[in-house]
Amino acid sequence: MTVAEAPTAPKRPSPLARLDAGDRKRAVVIVVLLAFVLLALPGWMSAYWTDVATQVAIYSVVALGLGLLMGRVGLVSLGQIAVLALGAWTFARLSFASGMPFPIVLLLSGLITMVLGTLVGLPALRMSGLYLALITLMLAGAIAVVLTATNFPNGGGGFLGHIERDFGNDSVRRPAIALTDSAYFRYTVIACVLMFLLALVHVRAKPGRAWAAIRQSEPAALAAGVNITLYKLWAFALASFMTGIAGGLMAADVGQLFTFQFATSQNIELLAVVLIGGIYSLWGAIVAGVFFKLIPALLDNWGLPADLLTILFGVGILQVLLTAPAGLAYQFPRDMKRLGGLLVGLFRRAAPAGERTS
Amino acid sequence: MRFGGVTPLDAMSVTFESGTCGLIGPNGAGKTTFFNVLSGFVEPASGAVVAFGDDLLAMPHYKRARWGLRRTFQTEQAIEELSVAGNVALAHEHSSRSDRAERQRDVLGAIEFVGLDVDPEVKVGTLGARERRLVEVARAVVGKPRLVLLDEPAAGLPGEETEHLGRVIQRIPEHMGALVILVDHDMSLVSACCDTTAVLDFGRLIASGPTAEVLRNKDVMRAYLGTEEVEGTERVA
Amino acid sequence: MPSWDEFQPFIVTGLALGGVYALSGVGMVVLYRTTGVLNLAFGAVGAMGALIAWQLINESGWGEYPAYLVCILFGGVVTLAYGVAFGPPLAGRDPLVKATATLGLALILLGAMSWIWSDKARSMILPTSTENFEVGDVLVNYTQVIGVAFGIGVTLFTVAFLKFTKLGTAMRGLANDREITATLGVPVRWVEASAWLVSGLLSGVSGLLLSNLVGLDAATLTFLVISSLAAALIARLQSLVVTLIAGLVVGLVSAMATPIESISEYRNMAPFVLATVALLFLSRKGRISLSGRSV
Repeated sequence: MTVAEAPTAPKRPSPLARLDAGDRKRAVVIVVLLAFVLLALPGWMSAYWTDVATQVAIYSVVALGLGLLMGRVGLVSLGQIAVLALGAWTFARLSFASGMPFPIVLLLSGLITMVLGTLVGLPALRMSGLYLALITLMLAGAIAVVLTATNFPNGGGGFLGHIERDFGNDSVRRPAIALTDSAYFRYTVIACVLMFLLALVHVRAKPGRAWAAIRQSEPAALAAGVNITLYKLWAFALASFMTGIAGGLMAADVGQLFTFQFATSQNIELLAVVLIGGIYSLWGAIVAGVFFKLIPALLDNWGLPADLLTILFGVGILQVLLTAPAGLAYQFPRDMKRLGGLLVGLFRRAAPAGERTS
Repeated sequence: MRFGGVTPLDAMSVTFESGTCGLIGPNGAGKTTFFNVLSGFVEPASGAVVAFGDDLLAMPHYKRARWGLRRTFQTEQAIEELSVAGNVALAHEHSSRSDRAERQRDVLGAIEFVGLDVDPEVKVGTLGARERRLVEVARAVVGKPRLVLLDEPAAGLPGEETEHLGRVIQRIPEHMGALVILVDHDMSLVSACCDTTAVLDFGRLIASGPTAEVLRNKDVMRAYLGTEEVEGTERVA
Repeated sequence: MPSWDEFQPFIVTGLALGGVYALSGVGMVVLYRTTGVLNLAFGAVGAMGALIAWQLINESGWGEYPAYLVCILFGGVVTLAYGVAFGPPLAGRDPLVKATATLGLALILLGAMSWIWSDKARSMILPTSTENFEVGDVLVNYTQVIGVAFGIGVTLFTVAFLKFTKLGTAMRGLANDREITATLGVPVRWVEASAWLVSGLLSGVSGLLLSNLVGLDAATLTFLVISSLAAALIARLQSLVVTLIAGLVVGLVSAMATPIESISEYRNMAPFVLATVALLFLSRKGRISLSGRSV
């Protein structure tokens, strides 16, 4: 299925894994941006905004997973927030249960979430797009029910690791090198950058080509020898892994986990921001993260109700599906270029006119 | 295997020897169904497909491509968001064990072989119909194909393009070492490319042999050209 | 294991809830079969209707029945408006795109509800909920009776409607093949519009009943659509009678799990589990079709 047809005009970078001039330019921009985010930003931000920025990074990775599924393979999952909750639960449980180093626990919870996500994907892959989406919605509902019943681990015993306490819950621990909010923000950004690189490596290489073929035409993919089931599962596994890592990062960020942090409606809102950000570009995932976490915080700061944003997300879904299938990450630079061209044109026209009058 | 009361392929037995073979017949004769059986999109109720001593029906579809079965489709199936090289590499990287440098060489070789004079890094989505068709042919011949199925590759192409395509097709067996089966309604293309030709009508093989002889065959004239006259009006099965 | 006596009251709640699930399921299936749109905003529309009714009764001093009527009409009007505005431009797209677009409507309504009414818990009590009668030892109220009766009644009525009326035949035609039905001279837009309207009215009715049976909360009511969806999915979005039966079973199973302590907390999983199992079972023969969509 196609959620929306890929844009045919101006093209994205070459899919073959080699660096051309455009790539080099992009790499420089990214490194500069990253240096700014890692070095300059934490110093300026208050604790509140540091927390918001950490959340933006984490949810960018969640959006990245869904964007890969939708934009690259053409699978819609309506249960990614539930997968995030699984990742957070797993991380919290492992973290309380063992003294393993933070990165190991993070990697393990990513892998466990990957296995769970793949198990979900395995039977669902036999179904067409709509049924797959509905199955994931069902599973999201089911996971929400289970989590309401079991709660999140908070240092209790047993398999579930939850204990009812009035106050003073233990927090999920952070890495020893990143105990402060600023340090943890940097840590999170680096982990998230690694996830983006992982996605990039996939998209630009053999799996990316196989996914592109599957999305446009399953018969053509089959005729080219692509094992469709394997590659769809692979996409599910990759998205679940990344979401699991994001879940782990989130658990350590917030310290204490509650079910309301993973409300069912968030699955739909995530879909909206991913569509708005753009599913055909990795930048879209960052835009999605900003929409999901930064803009609500800004609205809150300005005293506007965050519900306005939910309405905007709804309008965004409709608008993207009707008119701008590639989302903001694609549309915005083009609009800016057009605006720039227009301004330059106006300026050129104005300049000679000015000369004449003088 | 039945579609709406019509049996597309009925007790058909056909053997293709070597080189480029034509497969012709009126609309609905079962040519595409035959290709679909070969590439595994439909399962025959009974029967066997043996190619170079291997049983094709025993392989899942994607493994057939790895075995060396390649095909093009009647409708255009070049992947738009991939580059020309990406499209061709797609068919190669799932079927060969060769290393990267060698694959890259094969990919560029196949693009050159079909006479595609565009930058291999350009997106297929920006190309015209002719180039897209050639991309599909390149995808079908890259690496070491053993059996190449071309389903109306010249449909919709202007005359001179068809001639170019004909020359490419003719050279496939020699240069790539594969058996080619060509389905097309353009008789001049079929007679130019194919040493032998088989004719299908209503799912039955009605003639086969050297192309020139087959095209003179009375039954073929009646079955094939007979319907050619009424083409354009709806054919009721 | 609890005794039979303890189960009895839950049979009634289960059937009532199941009846409403069936009602919503039928509303969604009829729309899906006619227009190809799976309306995932079904629950949100009903929830907003119910909240408007609550507002009219409690803040504006309206009579109860006019307010209920407004709730049902709201469902019809909003759904119809969405259908008229977004149905045609999305008509040629994949069913998944059409379903995703309705999530846009769901978010708009959800945002509006949470903005206007905030997340405070409210309750709405239909006058029928206060009148009871006894069956054996079990107290049954009339809202529960209405739930079951509406579920069964609407399903049977719809089946008959599709079978025996001209509009129904046209709807079935559209479900089968839009293009062919259009060339036969059926006014496609009108038929689709009536399907949107009917489905919307049903969403208003089920919103009203659910707000009473479950509680008046925007998010809960919106996502209760997943439970009705389960019934519709078990029927593979095709059969109305299967939707009815599945709805009743889903309602019954989740209610009957309540007195069993070990699974009580997980009872709300019943719709998801049943639907997932049913879908997996039904899709065993999944195959790849040449159009690129597997069935």
